[in-house]
Amino acid sequence: MNTANERKASPAPQQVLLAEDLQKSYGARPALRGLSFSLHAGRILGFLGPNGAGKTTAIRILTTILEPDAGHFMVDGLSSDRPVELRRRIGVLPESLGFPKNMTGLEFVTYFGRLYGQPTALARAKAAAMIEAVGLQQRGRSLIGTYSRGMRQRLGIARALVNDPAVVFLDEPTLGLDPQGQQELLKLVRWIARERNAGVVLCSHQLADVESVCDDVVILNTGTVVAQGPVADVIGSADQQAVRVQVAPQSVAAAQQALQGLPGVTRVASAGGSSGWLRVELDAAVAGNGQPAHQHVLEGLMRASIPVLGFQTGGSRLQDVFLQITQGSIE
Amino acid sequence: MSSARSRAPGWWVVFTRELADHWIGGKALGLVLFFCVMVAGAAMLQAVISVDDPIPPREMIFSALGLAISFGLVMGLVIGADSLSGERERGTLEALLLTPMSRRHIVAGKFLAAVSVWPVAMVVTAPYLTVLAQGDDALGPALRWGVVLGSLLAAAFAGLGMLVSFWSNANKTSLTVSLTLYLLCFLPTQMPSGAQKGFMGYLLKRVNPIEAVNQFLENVIVNNRTPHQMMPWLRGPAVFAVLVLGLLLWHAEGLSLDNGLPWLGRFGRRQPA
Repeated sequence: MNTANERKASPAPQQVLLAEDLQKSYGARPALRGLSFSLHAGRILGFLGPNGAGKTTAIRILTTILEPDAGHFMVDGLSSDRPVELRRRIGVLPESLGFPKNMTGLEFVTYFGRLYGQPTALARAKAAAMIEAVGLQQRGRSLIGTYSRGMRQRLGIARALVNDPAVVFLDEPTLGLDPQGQQELLKLVRWIARERNAGVVLCSHQLADVESVCDDVVILNTGTVVAQGPVADVIGSADQQAVRVQVAPQSVAAAQQALQGLPGVTRVASAGGSSGWLRVELDAAVAGNGQPAHQHVLEGLMRASIPVLGFQTGGSRLQDVFLQITQGSIE
Repeated sequence: MSSARSRAPGWWVVFTRELADHWIGGKALGLVLFFCVMVAGAAMLQAVISVDDPIPPREMIFSALGLAISFGLVMGLVIGADSLSGERERGTLEALLLTPMSRRHIVAGKFLAAVSVWPVAMVVTAPYLTVLAQGDDALGPALRWGVVLGSLLAAAFAGLGMLVSFWSNANKTSLTVSLTLYLLCFLPTQMPSGAQKGFMGYLLKRVNPIEAVNQFLENVIVNNRTPHQMMPWLRGPAVFAVLVLGLLLWHAEGLSLDNGLPWLGRFGRRQPA
């Protein structure tokens, strides 16, 4: 069993999580069809996928809440057929964790320390340290019922760290937080990986968060891994012949029509919800025809009298890859 | 270095936490205070009536004891019914299941907390029994058998509530089913008197744990029968307790986030996890 200090002292990043061909079905419906990946200490792995892709099923299998139909995994050298010992090596912040309203934050984390087998005095000391580490030291003795959403998420992270885990699973940790709260939480996520040298699995729909904080990413769609690897590589695997253009939201439909009519434009898709950004994919022949691709697109919009509010070349983002791979499309 | 001696067993950690929840933050203390008022009122009423129309002390003891047993039993049932389905509804069960704690320890800790109201009810009632006894030698057997059989019923019905809770995803469903099962125990008393005296009526009384214990206590305390004579009446309650608690212990390791039987869940609105 490796503590945070031992993991940091090790010369090479240790593999803390290895999943091999995990499969799970609910009746006739397959939820996971062969998930395989690995995670090293100190790295952050993003778990992405549309609703129903199998992310929560995967997390629940890896945290021993569910048993897989096939496949196995290892956490910090412990095989998945030893779930009790394995639970000692993981920390989890589930998506919808409930909190007892009539306990203080300190009591809550101490309680879980004791559930992990720590003597009361040690559990209290660790709880105090974790509460301080997540920035709740001023409110540790207040009732959880008085905590804001952001404070509860921090408390959940403190609870997940009380047993000094080798792998921390965070399922939608920034859900419901304001932008500042999200940034503070992501800072905490980085701290868990870098300072505590734990492997972090971050499940999130906030693709910008995943892109900014994760080292590696796994994208699931209908239970199958459709992309995985370092974030930069996965983004780079997207179609390079693409530009991003922003028009007024009320002109989106007209712009889409105008662009789709241009020769060489293979696809026009929404790239930002209601913000008016469009991702325009071009075939290589047009893009390499001596004329810059963006000029071709700009000319098309000008001919259609549609004002251009913004423009980016080489504009692939993780969101673009995600939408492309999971076949997202504009209404 | 932590020593194993100072590390409390898992069931104890859960038990002490649940006790604090029920008695400090929860409703148990308030309900016991209400029970204190109720039993004091009942005792006083009997004493007042006894002035003009003397009630034999044995009957007064039997009546007060029945009140305590009923209270402990119902509280155990209700707390048990909330214990697991309530955690599912509040979203707090997943965190418990993510710890290395044995599921049996979790269930055992919650079970002990569920039956904790019964001994308090008995302690509150004992002084009243002493006063109502007025020196009658029925007090000793009443206290002895009251403690034994009250504990048996409290444990059995707390276990029943927990079993229903184990299989329910919604707290409303769990409470409804548990209280319905409890009320079914009183159904035989609603049968016509002729039917109650017949073979089926007799069989239902023997099988019904509450009625069987009632018959035992009434005959031993009030009617001067010996416990040995009435022992056959305790077979039903004992089998009931063993079955319920055995089933609970056996199932405990399978405790998971979603143990609900789908058809039970339809009777209550399922809260998101």
